[in-house]
Amino acid sequence: MSPDGQTRSKKLYVPNDIYTIMLTIAFFIVLATAAYVAYTCYSQYGTIFNTP
Amino acid sequence: MSALTKILMVLLTISAIFLCGIVVTYVTNADNYKEKYDSLYTRFQTEQEKRTSVDQQLEKTTEQANRLEKELNDKIASLNIQVEQLKGELDKAEREKSQLLQRVDGFAAQVATFTKTNEDQRSLLENTISTWKNVEANLIKEQSEHKETARLLLEKLAIITTLQEQNKRLMEENASLQTKANQSLQQYGKTTVPPSLVTQITEQARPAPMLQITKEIGLKGRVVNVDIKNKMAEISIGKANGVETDMRFHVIRGDQFICDIVIIDVEPEKAVGRLEYLQYEPQSGDSISTNL
Repeated sequence: MSPDGQTRSKKLYVPNDIYTIMLTIAFFIVLATAAYVAYTCYSQYGTIFNTP
Repeated sequence: MSALTKILMVLLTISAIFLCGIVVTYVTNADNYKEKYDSLYTRFQTEQEKRTSVDQQLEKTTEQANRLEKELNDKIASLNIQVEQLKGELDKAEREKSQLLQRVDGFAAQVATFTKTNEDQRSLLENTISTWKNVEANLIKEQSEHKETARLLLEKLAIITTLQEQNKRLMEENASLQTKANQSLQQYGKTTVPPSLVTQITEQARPAPMLQITKEIGLKGRVVNVDIKNKMAEISIGKANGVETDMRFHVIRGDQFICDIVIIDVEPEKAVGRLEYLQYEPQSGDSISTNL
């Protein structure tokens, strides 16, 4: 491992990066939407992917 | 990080948020088709069951209607037969009615004839009664004359009896005198001659033979009905045969005396009386007569 590689990777995973936060928020929104849609499908039709 | 990447990340985030909002909104407002399907299927099943029950009821109703129709047809047929029979009986009754009306007319004519005959008989009876009254008056008059004649006859008979006693006494005196004369004349060889009567001896008067003043009635009949509880009996002869109230009949069975019946009510063809001197219980058919 080279020290450059370690430095570069530290730059990629900055925790307070605004864009990372935006992507994270977008990811969780999509995830929550998928979970909500799955829950709704399961509660209404009894299955998630198959045709009732 | 390039600017394009940043722009794409922002757009990606915004589009993800927007699309997720649209998806959530759509999913939230979407209809529950499974529930609708279940409810519709349930309604379909219910309607199917209703249809089946309605079909069964329809079949039952149709069967009942057919049976009722058959029964009504049978009743109609039997009623038609009865109507025909009643028509026949009506025709027969009308014929009988016409015949009876003819008979009634005949009876009315006969009644008129009988009434006229009855009037004639009545007038004849009144004439006969008046004649009978005249005869009865004459009979009473003759009976009084007969009584007077009988009284005179008895007086004459008493006189004749007295005269016969005087005659007998004179005959005895004559016989004694003749005996004395014969005794006196025998001394001289003579005897007396029986005197010859100047007048012819007539037949001695005697009372007339007793006339039969009673006769037996001689009614005979049968006991028709007996009410032993009230001691009453009905006999087969009535006023037409000469039965009268208080007449006494003797009831006999063979040679056995049963009782007496004293008549208390008389009708033309029968009579009713009370039982007396009851020896045995009288029965229908026992003989009755006024004389034993």
